[in-house]
Amino acid sequence: MEVTHDLSFVPLIQNASFLVQMVMGLLLLVSLMSWWYIFLKMFAIRQARNQSDAFEEAFWANPDLNRLYKEYLNDSDTAGSLERIFAAGYAEFVKLKKKPGVDNTDVMDGTRRAMRATYQREMDALESHLSFLATVGSVSPYVGLFGTVWGIMNAFRGLANVGQATLAHVAPGIAEALVATAMGLFAAIPAVVAYNRYAHDTVRLSSRFESFMEEFSNVLQRQP
Amino acid sequence: MSTLTYPEPYKISAGALALLVHGVFFTLLYFGFSWQMQPPQGMVVDIWENLPQHEEPAPAAAEPARAEQPAPPRVEVKPAPARAEIDVPVKKKVKKKKKEEKDEVIAKLTPKQLAAQKAAYAKRLQQESEQQAREAERQAQAQAQAAATGRMVDEYVAKISAKIRRNIVAPPGVSSKIRAEFDVTLLPGGLVLESELTMTRSSGNNAYDSAVERAILKSQPLPLPPDAALFNRFRDLHLKFSPDQGN
Repeated sequence: MEVTHDLSFVPLIQNASFLVQMVMGLLLLVSLMSWWYIFLKMFAIRQARNQSDAFEEAFWANPDLNRLYKEYLNDSDTAGSLERIFAAGYAEFVKLKKKPGVDNTDVMDGTRRAMRATYQREMDALESHLSFLATVGSVSPYVGLFGTVWGIMNAFRGLANVGQATLAHVAPGIAEALVATAMGLFAAIPAVVAYNRYAHDTVRLSSRFESFMEEFSNVLQRQP
Repeated sequence: MSTLTYPEPYKISAGALALLVHGVFFTLLYFGFSWQMQPPQGMVVDIWENLPQHEEPAPAAAEPARAEQPAPPRVEVKPAPARAEIDVPVKKKVKKKKKEEKDEVIAKLTPKQLAAQKAAYAKRLQQESEQQAREAERQAQAQAQAAATGRMVDEYVAKISAKIRRNIVAPPGVSSKIRAEFDVTLLPGGLVLESELTMTRSSGNNAYDSAVERAILKSQPLPLPPDAALFNRFRDLHLKFSPDQGN
Protein backbone atom coordinates (compact mmCIF):
# COMPACT_ATOMS: atom_id res chain seq x y z
CA MET A 1 0.00 0.00 0.00
CA GLU A 2 1.40 3.38 -0.88
CA VAL A 3 1.35 6.05 1.73
CA THR A 4 -0.16 8.65 -0.56
CA HIS A 5 -3.43 6.91 -1.15
CA ASP A 6 -6.00 8.60 -3.34
CA LEU A 7 -9.05 8.97 -1.17
CA SER A 8 -11.40 10.53 -3.65
CA PHE A 9 -14.76 8.95 -4.16
CA VAL A 10 -14.48 6.57 -7.10
CA PRO A 11 -11.19 4.83 -6.23
CA LEU A 12 -12.52 4.41 -2.73
CA ILE A 13 -15.21 2.14 -4.11
CA GLN A 14 -13.03 0.54 -6.76
CA ASN A 15 -10.35 -0.48 -4.27
CA ALA A 16 -12.78 -2.06 -1.85
CA SER A 17 -12.79 -5.82 -1.52
CA PHE A 18 -15.32 -7.87 -3.46
CA LEU A 19 -17.63 -8.57 -0.55
CA VAL A 20 -17.72 -4.92 0.44
CA GLN A 21 -18.50 -4.02 -3.16
CA MET A 22 -21.33 -6.55 -3.14
CA VAL A 23 -22.71 -5.03 0.03
CA MET A 24 -22.47 -1.58 -1.52
CA GLY A 25 -24.27 -2.75 -4.64
CA LEU A 26 -27.02 -4.36 -2.61
CA LEU A 27 -27.46 -1.25 -0.54
CA LEU A 28 -27.58 0.90 -3.64
CA LEU A 29 -30.30 -1.30 -5.08
CA VAL A 30 -32.26 -1.25 -1.83
CA SER A 31 -31.89 2.49 -1.60
CA LEU A 32 -33.13 2.94 -5.16
CA MET A 33 -36.16 0.75 -4.48
CA SER A 34 -36.98 2.41 -1.21
CA TRP A 35 -36.83 5.84 -2.82
CA TRP A 36 -39.03 4.59 -5.61
CA TYR A 37 -41.61 3.41 -3.07
CA ILE A 38 -41.25 6.63 -1.13
CA PHE A 39 -42.25 8.67 -4.16
CA LEU A 40 -44.89 6.14 -5.19
CA LYS A 41 -46.51 6.26 -1.77
CA MET A 42 -46.19 10.01 -1.62
CA PHE A 43 -48.16 10.40 -4.82
CA ALA A 44 -50.67 7.67 -3.92
CA ILE A 45 -51.45 9.06 -0.49
CA ARG A 46 -51.71 12.60 -1.74
CA GLN A 47 -54.08 11.41 -4.48
CA ALA A 48 -56.20 9.45 -2.01
CA ARG A 49 -56.49 12.49 0.24
CA ASN A 50 -57.45 14.80 -2.61
CA GLN A 51 -60.02 12.35 -3.98
CA SER A 52 -61.53 11.86 -0.53
CA ASP A 53 -61.77 15.62 -0.08
CA ALA A 54 -63.49 15.99 -3.42
CA PHE A 55 -65.90 13.13 -2.82
CA GLU A 56 -66.86 14.18 0.70
CA GLU A 57 -67.62 17.65 -0.58
CA ALA A 58 -69.77 16.24 -3.36
CA PHE A 59 -71.49 13.81 -0.98
CA TRP A 60 -72.54 16.41 1.55
CA ALA A 61 -73.43 18.95 -1.12
CA ASN A 62 -76.22 16.97 -2.80
CA PRO A 63 -78.38 14.49 -1.03
CA ASP A 64 -79.23 12.56 -4.19
CA LEU A 65 -77.39 9.27 -3.61
CA ASN A 66 -78.59 7.78 -6.82
CA ARG A 67 -76.96 10.48 -8.89
CA LEU A 68 -73.68 10.07 -7.03
CA TYR A 69 -73.75 6.37 -7.72
CA LYS A 70 -74.40 6.96 -11.39
CA GLU A 71 -71.49 9.38 -11.52
CA TYR A 72 -69.31 6.70 -10.03
CA LEU A 73 -70.45 4.16 -12.62
CA ASN A 74 -69.76 6.61 -15.42
CA ASP A 75 -66.11 7.05 -14.57
CA SER A 76 -65.05 4.42 -12.10
CA ASP A 77 -61.41 4.78 -13.21
CA THR A 78 -60.94 8.15 -11.56
CA ALA A 79 -62.83 7.16 -8.42
CA GLY A 80 -61.03 7.38 -5.12
CA SER A 81 -61.10 5.01 -2.15
CA LEU A 82 -63.94 6.78 -0.41
CA GLU A 83 -66.06 6.77 -3.55
CA ARG A 84 -65.49 3.06 -4.01
CA ILE A 85 -66.53 2.38 -0.42
CA PHE A 86 -69.64 4.43 -0.99
CA ALA A 87 -70.44 2.68 -4.25
CA ALA A 88 -70.05 -0.80 -2.72
CA GLY A 89 -72.28 0.09 0.17
CA TYR A 90 -74.94 1.78 -1.93
CA ALA A 91 -75.07 -1.05 -4.48
CA GLU A 92 -75.56 -3.60 -1.70
CA PHE A 93 -78.17 -1.41 -0.04
CA VAL A 94 -80.20 -1.03 -3.22
CA LYS A 95 -79.99 -4.75 -3.96
CA LEU A 96 -81.14 -5.75 -0.49
CA LYS A 97 -83.90 -3.16 -0.45
CA LYS A 98 -85.33 -4.56 -3.67
CA LYS A 99 -85.57 -8.01 -2.15
CA PRO A 100 -88.92 -8.52 -0.47
CA GLY A 101 -89.10 -9.68 3.08
CA VAL A 102 -85.64 -8.55 4.16
CA ASP A 103 -85.53 -6.89 7.51
CA ASN A 104 -84.21 -3.35 7.74
CA THR A 105 -81.52 -4.46 10.22
CA ASP A 106 -80.33 -7.16 7.81
CA VAL A 107 -80.18 -4.59 5.02
CA MET A 108 -77.98 -2.35 7.14
CA ASP A 109 -75.80 -5.27 8.21
CA GLY A 110 -75.25 -6.37 4.64
CA THR A 111 -74.47 -2.83 3.55
CA ARG A 112 -71.96 -2.42 6.34
CA ARG A 113 -70.27 -5.71 5.49
CA ALA A 114 -69.95 -4.72 1.85
CA MET A 115 -68.44 -1.36 2.80
CA ARG A 116 -66.05 -2.96 5.27
CA ALA A 117 -64.79 -5.40 2.64
CA THR A 118 -64.02 -2.56 0.24
CA TYR A 119 -62.51 -0.56 3.08
CA GLN A 120 -60.14 -3.42 3.92
CA ARG A 121 -59.08 -3.68 0.32
CA GLU A 122 -58.48 0.04 0.06
CA MET A 123 -56.45 0.09 3.22
CA ASP A 124 -54.41 -2.84 1.99
CA ALA A 125 -53.61 -0.97 -1.21
CA LEU A 126 -52.69 2.17 0.70
CA GLU A 127 -50.46 0.30 3.11
CA SER A 128 -48.71 -1.77 0.47
CA HIS A 129 -44.92 -1.34 0.30
CA LEU A 130 -44.86 0.28 3.71
CA SER A 131 -43.46 -2.92 5.18
CA PHE A 132 -40.64 -2.75 2.66
CA LEU A 133 -39.73 0.72 3.87
CA ALA A 134 -39.81 -0.50 7.46
CA THR A 135 -37.55 -3.42 6.64
CA VAL A 136 -35.07 -1.23 4.78
CA GLY A 137 -35.06 1.23 7.64
CA SER A 138 -34.24 -1.37 10.22
CA VAL A 139 -31.98 -3.76 8.31
CA SER A 140 -29.82 -1.74 5.94
CA PRO A 141 -27.67 -0.17 8.69
CA TYR A 142 -26.77 -3.68 9.75
CA VAL A 143 -25.96 -4.69 6.20
CA GLY A 144 -23.74 -1.63 5.87
CA LEU A 145 -22.14 -2.40 9.19
CA PHE A 146 -21.42 -5.91 8.04
CA GLY A 147 -19.60 -4.56 4.98
CA THR A 148 -17.65 -2.17 7.17
CA VAL A 149 -16.61 -4.84 9.63
CA TRP A 150 -15.47 -7.04 6.80
CA GLY A 151 -13.52 -4.21 5.20
CA ILE A 152 -11.83 -3.28 8.45
CA MET A 153 -10.92 -6.89 9.05
CA ASN A 154 -9.21 -6.92 5.68
CA ALA A 155 -7.47 -3.63 6.40
CA PHE A 156 -6.02 -4.98 9.61
CA ARG A 157 -5.04 -8.27 8.03
CA GLY A 158 -3.07 -6.30 5.43
CA LEU A 159 -1.43 -4.50 8.31
CA ALA A 160 -0.01 -7.75 9.63
CA ASN A 161 2.30 -8.03 6.64
CA VAL A 162 3.79 -4.60 7.16
CA GLY A 163 6.68 -4.33 9.53
CA GLN A 164 6.22 -0.79 10.67
CA ALA A 165 2.53 -0.06 11.03
CA THR A 166 1.40 3.50 10.60
CA LEU A 167 -2.02 5.03 10.44
CA ALA A 168 -1.47 5.59 6.72
CA HIS A 169 -1.54 1.85 6.16
CA VAL A 170 -4.94 1.28 7.75
CA ALA A 171 -6.67 4.55 6.99
CA PRO A 172 -7.54 3.88 3.32
CA GLY A 173 -8.95 0.46 4.14
CA ILE A 174 -11.07 1.81 6.94
CA ALA A 175 -12.27 4.67 4.77
CA GLU A 176 -13.29 2.19 2.08
CA ALA A 177 -15.09 0.07 4.60
CA LEU A 178 -16.90 3.00 6.13
CA VAL A 179 -18.41 3.86 2.77
CA ALA A 180 -20.56 0.76 3.24
CA THR A 181 -21.92 2.07 6.54
CA ALA A 182 -22.54 5.44 4.97
CA MET A 183 -24.54 3.82 2.21
CA GLY A 184 -26.52 1.74 4.68
CA LEU A 185 -27.43 4.86 6.60
CA PHE A 186 -28.21 6.67 3.39
CA ALA A 187 -30.71 3.95 2.54
CA ALA A 188 -32.11 3.63 6.06
CA ILE A 189 -32.72 7.21 7.16
CA PRO A 190 -35.16 8.25 4.42
CA ALA A 191 -36.88 4.89 4.64
CA VAL A 192 -37.52 5.26 8.38
CA VAL A 193 -38.70 8.84 8.00
CA ALA A 194 -40.97 7.92 5.12
CA TYR A 195 -42.33 4.89 6.93
CA ASN A 196 -43.30 6.89 9.99
CA ARG A 197 -44.84 9.61 7.90
CA TYR A 198 -46.84 7.29 5.67
CA ALA A 199 -47.98 5.07 8.54
CA HIS A 200 -49.37 8.15 10.20
CA ASP A 201 -51.01 9.30 6.96
CA THR A 202 -52.68 5.95 6.35
CA VAL A 203 -53.97 5.81 9.93
CA ARG A 204 -55.56 9.21 9.45
CA LEU A 205 -57.07 8.15 6.13
CA SER A 206 -58.44 4.96 7.64
CA SER A 207 -60.12 6.78 10.52
CA ARG A 208 -61.57 9.17 7.99
CA PHE A 209 -62.96 6.26 5.96
CA GLU A 210 -64.42 4.66 9.06
CA SER A 211 -66.19 7.78 10.19
CA PHE A 212 -67.57 8.22 6.68
CA MET A 213 -68.86 4.65 6.78
CA GLU A 214 -70.70 5.34 10.04
CA GLU A 215 -72.17 8.56 8.74
CA PHE A 216 -73.19 6.97 5.48
CA SER A 217 -74.90 4.10 7.36
CA ASN A 218 -76.95 6.66 9.24
CA VAL A 219 -77.91 8.37 6.01
CA LEU A 220 -78.96 5.04 4.52
CA GLN A 221 -80.93 4.09 7.59
CA ARG A 222 -82.99 7.25 7.25
CA GLN A 223 -83.81 6.30 3.65
CA PRO A 224 -87.38 5.25 3.17
CA MET B 1 -67.00 -6.44 -7.38
CA SER B 2 -64.37 -3.72 -7.21
CA THR B 3 -61.12 -4.38 -8.94
CA LEU B 4 -58.43 -6.02 -6.88
CA THR B 5 -55.49 -4.20 -8.44
CA TYR B 6 -55.58 -0.47 -8.43
CA PRO B 7 -53.82 1.45 -11.14
CA GLU B 8 -50.64 3.12 -9.98
CA PRO B 9 -50.20 5.92 -12.45
CA TYR B 10 -47.11 7.34 -10.77
CA LYS B 11 -44.82 4.36 -11.18
CA ILE B 12 -42.62 5.90 -13.82
CA SER B 13 -42.41 9.37 -12.37
CA ALA B 14 -41.65 7.94 -8.94
CA GLY B 15 -38.87 5.81 -10.42
CA ALA B 16 -37.46 8.82 -12.24
CA LEU B 17 -37.52 10.86 -9.05
CA ALA B 18 -35.78 8.09 -7.14
CA LEU B 19 -33.04 7.97 -9.76
CA LEU B 20 -32.80 11.75 -9.62
CA VAL B 21 -32.32 11.69 -5.86
CA HIS B 22 -29.48 9.21 -6.19
CA GLY B 23 -27.96 11.08 -9.07
CA VAL B 24 -27.93 14.29 -7.07
CA PHE B 25 -26.53 12.54 -4.04
CA PHE B 26 -23.67 10.90 -5.88
CA THR B 27 -22.87 14.03 -7.82
CA LEU B 28 -22.62 15.89 -4.55
CA LEU B 29 -20.40 13.17 -3.17
CA TYR B 30 -18.25 13.12 -6.24
CA PHE B 31 -17.70 16.83 -6.69
CA GLY B 32 -18.37 18.40 -3.34
CA PHE B 33 -16.85 15.85 -1.10
CA SER B 34 -13.51 14.91 -2.58
CA TRP B 35 -11.48 13.53 0.26
CA GLN B 36 -8.35 15.23 -0.86
CA MET B 37 -5.72 13.55 1.19
CA GLN B 38 -2.72 15.20 -0.41
CA PRO B 39 -0.25 14.79 2.42
CA PRO B 40 1.44 18.08 3.23
CA GLN B 41 4.76 18.46 1.51
CA GLY B 42 7.55 17.27 3.72
CA MET B 43 9.11 20.30 5.27
CA VAL B 44 12.61 20.51 6.64
CA VAL B 45 13.06 23.29 9.10
CA ASP B 46 16.50 24.48 9.99
CA ILE B 47 16.67 26.33 13.23
CA TRP B 48 19.43 28.88 13.37
CA GLU B 49 20.59 29.98 16.74
CA ASN B 50 22.50 32.85 15.23
CA LEU B 51 22.91 33.76 11.63
CA PRO B 52 25.88 32.15 9.90
CA GLN B 53 29.04 34.17 10.05
CA HIS B 54 29.59 34.01 6.32
CA GLU B 55 26.58 36.23 5.93
CA GLU B 56 28.76 39.24 6.64
CA PRO B 57 29.96 39.82 3.09
CA ALA B 58 26.43 39.38 1.79
CA PRO B 59 24.99 42.64 3.12
CA ALA B 60 28.02 44.48 1.84
CA ALA B 61 27.34 43.06 -1.60
CA ALA B 62 23.71 43.84 -1.21
CA GLU B 63 24.17 47.51 -0.44
CA PRO B 64 25.75 48.52 -3.73
CA ALA B 65 23.17 46.50 -5.61
CA ARG B 66 20.38 48.23 -3.76
CA ALA B 67 21.95 51.60 -4.36
CA GLU B 68 22.22 50.87 -8.04
CA GLN B 69 18.69 49.76 -8.51
CA PRO B 70 16.71 52.73 -7.26
CA ALA B 71 18.95 55.29 -8.92
CA PRO B 72 20.07 53.89 -12.23
CA PRO B 73 20.09 57.19 -14.14
CA ARG B 74 22.89 58.59 -11.98
CA VAL B 75 24.99 55.54 -12.49
CA GLU B 76 24.45 55.63 -16.22
CA VAL B 77 24.99 59.25 -16.82
CA LYS B 78 28.15 59.77 -14.86
CA PRO B 79 30.42 57.31 -16.62
CA ALA B 80 29.01 58.09 -20.02
CA PRO B 81 30.23 61.67 -20.42
CA ALA B 82 33.59 60.76 -18.96
CA ARG B 83 34.11 58.10 -21.56
CA ALA B 84 32.81 60.37 -24.24
CA GLU B 85 35.35 62.99 -23.21
CA ILE B 86 38.11 60.47 -23.42
CA ASP B 87 36.88 59.31 -26.75
CA VAL B 88 36.51 62.71 -28.24
CA PRO B 89 40.15 63.64 -28.60
CA VAL B 90 40.97 60.32 -30.19
CA LYS B 91 38.20 60.68 -32.65
CA LYS B 92 39.19 64.26 -33.25
CA LYS B 93 42.68 63.14 -34.03
CA VAL B 94 41.33 60.58 -36.45
CA LYS B 95 39.07 63.19 -37.86
CA LYS B 96 41.95 65.59 -38.16
CA LYS B 97 43.93 63.06 -40.06
CA LYS B 98 41.01 62.50 -42.32
CA LYS B 99 40.62 66.21 -42.68
CA GLU B 100 44.21 66.55 -43.71
CA GLU B 101 43.70 63.87 -46.29
CA LYS B 102 40.59 65.53 -47.47
CA ASP B 103 42.40 68.81 -47.63
CA GLU B 104 44.94 67.25 -49.81
CA VAL B 105 42.38 65.83 -52.20
CA ILE B 106 39.86 68.63 -52.20
CA ALA B 107 40.38 72.29 -51.94
CA LYS B 108 39.69 74.10 -48.72
CA LEU B 109 36.08 73.92 -47.64
CA THR B 110 33.97 76.95 -47.20
CA PRO B 111 33.20 78.04 -43.60
CA LYS B 112 29.55 77.06 -44.02
CA GLN B 113 30.46 73.55 -44.99
CA LEU B 114 32.84 73.36 -42.10
CA ALA B 115 30.08 74.38 -39.72
CA ALA B 116 27.75 71.71 -41.18
CA GLN B 117 30.42 69.08 -40.75
CA LYS B 118 31.03 70.14 -37.23
CA ALA B 119 27.31 69.88 -36.47
CA ALA B 120 27.14 66.38 -37.95
CA TYR B 121 30.18 65.39 -35.98
CA ALA B 122 28.65 66.69 -32.74
CA LYS B 123 25.51 64.71 -33.47
CA ARG B 124 27.46 61.53 -33.98
CA LEU B 125 29.30 62.12 -30.73
CA GLN B 126 26.04 62.53 -28.92
CA GLN B 127 24.69 59.28 -30.37
CA GLU B 128 27.80 57.44 -29.36
CA SER B 129 27.57 58.72 -25.82
CA GLU B 130 23.93 57.63 -25.66
CA GLN B 131 24.88 54.17 -26.79
CA GLN B 132 27.53 54.00 -24.15
CA ALA B 133 25.02 55.10 -21.56
CA ARG B 134 22.70 52.27 -22.59
CA GLU B 135 25.50 49.75 -22.40
CA ALA B 136 26.40 51.02 -18.97
CA GLU B 137 22.80 50.58 -17.89
CA ARG B 138 22.75 47.03 -19.18
CA GLN B 139 25.98 46.28 -17.38
CA ALA B 140 24.55 47.71 -14.18
CA GLN B 141 21.51 45.49 -14.46
CA ALA B 142 23.63 42.43 -15.12
CA GLN B 143 25.76 43.33 -12.15
CA ALA B 144 22.71 43.69 -9.96
CA GLN B 145 21.50 40.28 -11.05
CA ALA B 146 24.87 38.72 -10.54
CA ALA B 147 24.99 40.33 -7.14
CA ALA B 148 21.59 38.88 -6.28
CA THR B 149 22.56 35.36 -7.30
CA GLY B 150 25.92 35.84 -5.65
CA ARG B 151 24.14 36.82 -2.47
CA MET B 152 21.93 33.76 -2.72
CA VAL B 153 24.94 31.51 -3.31
CA ASP B 154 26.81 33.08 -0.42
CA GLU B 155 23.82 32.71 1.83
CA TYR B 156 23.39 29.04 1.06
CA VAL B 157 27.09 28.28 1.26
CA ALA B 158 26.97 29.90 4.66
CA LYS B 159 23.94 27.83 5.57
CA ILE B 160 25.63 24.64 4.42
CA SER B 161 28.77 25.25 6.40
CA ALA B 162 26.75 26.36 9.40
CA LYS B 163 24.71 23.19 9.31
CA ILE B 164 27.84 21.09 9.10
CA ARG B 165 29.48 23.08 11.85
CA ARG B 166 26.57 22.42 14.16
CA ASN B 167 27.14 18.72 13.67
CA ILE B 168 30.84 18.79 14.39
CA VAL B 169 31.60 17.15 17.67
CA ALA B 170 35.05 18.52 18.20
CA PRO B 171 37.41 16.46 20.29
CA PRO B 172 38.49 18.11 23.50
CA GLY B 173 41.58 20.19 23.66
CA VAL B 174 41.72 21.17 20.04
CA SER B 175 43.55 24.32 19.23
CA SER B 176 41.18 26.94 17.89
CA LYS B 177 43.62 27.98 15.18
CA ILE B 178 43.75 24.80 13.16
CA ARG B 179 41.79 24.60 9.92
CA ALA B 180 40.60 21.68 7.82
CA GLU B 181 39.54 22.09 4.20
CA PHE B 182 37.26 19.73 2.32
CA ASP B 183 36.11 19.36 -1.26
CA VAL B 184 32.47 18.38 -1.21
CA THR B 185 30.55 17.23 -4.27
CA LEU B 186 26.81 17.67 -3.94
CA LEU B 187 24.02 15.88 -5.68
CA PRO B 188 20.72 17.56 -6.49
CA GLY B 189 18.65 17.26 -3.36
CA GLY B 190 21.51 18.07 -1.06
CA LEU B 191 23.12 14.67 -0.67
CA VAL B 192 26.90 14.42 -0.54
CA LEU B 193 28.65 12.20 -3.05
CA GLU B 194 30.58 10.18 -0.51
CA SER B 195 33.23 8.85 -2.88
CA GLU B 196 34.13 12.38 -3.91
CA LEU B 197 34.46 13.73 -0.40
CA THR B 198 38.11 14.57 -0.03
CA MET B 199 40.15 16.46 2.46
CA THR B 200 42.30 18.96 0.64
CA ARG B 201 44.05 20.25 3.70
CA SER B 202 44.38 18.49 6.97
CA SER B 203 44.09 20.46 10.14
CA GLY B 204 46.92 18.49 11.61
CA ASN B 205 44.57 16.97 14.15
CA ASN B 206 43.27 13.65 12.89
CA ALA B 207 40.45 13.55 15.40
CA TYR B 208 39.20 16.94 14.26
CA ASP B 209 39.49 15.95 10.59
CA SER B 210 37.39 12.85 11.06
CA ALA B 211 34.93 14.76 13.22
CA VAL B 212 34.42 17.22 10.38
CA GLU B 213 34.05 14.42 7.86
CA ARG B 214 31.45 12.72 10.03
CA ALA B 215 29.63 15.99 10.45
CA ILE B 216 29.50 16.52 6.70
CA LEU B 217 27.95 13.11 6.17
CA LYS B 218 25.60 13.57 9.10
CA SER B 219 24.36 16.92 7.81
CA GLN B 220 22.81 15.42 4.70
CA PRO B 221 20.67 16.67 3.08
CA LEU B 222 22.47 19.96 2.94
CA PRO B 223 20.35 23.05 2.36
CA LEU B 224 20.19 24.10 -1.28
CA PRO B 225 18.48 27.13 -2.82
CA PRO B 226 15.01 26.41 -4.21
CA ASP B 227 16.10 27.72 -7.62
CA ALA B 228 17.42 24.64 -9.42
CA ALA B 229 19.34 26.80 -11.87
CA LEU B 230 21.70 27.76 -9.10
CA PHE B 231 22.60 24.17 -8.34
CA ASN B 232 25.63 24.19 -10.60
CA ARG B 233 27.21 26.71 -8.28
CA PHE B 234 26.92 24.15 -5.51
CA ARG B 235 28.05 21.06 -7.34
CA ASP B 236 31.62 21.39 -6.12
CA LEU B 237 32.15 23.19 -2.89
CA HIS B 238 35.31 23.99 -1.09
CA LEU B 239 34.59 24.32 2.59
CA LYS B 240 36.87 25.37 5.40
CA PHE B 241 36.32 24.43 8.99
CA SER B 242 38.03 25.74 12.03
CA PRO B 243 37.13 25.08 15.67
CA ASP B 244 36.96 28.77 16.52
CA GLN B 245 34.23 29.47 14.02
CA GLY B 246 31.52 27.44 15.53
CA ASN B 247 30.37 26.15 18.76
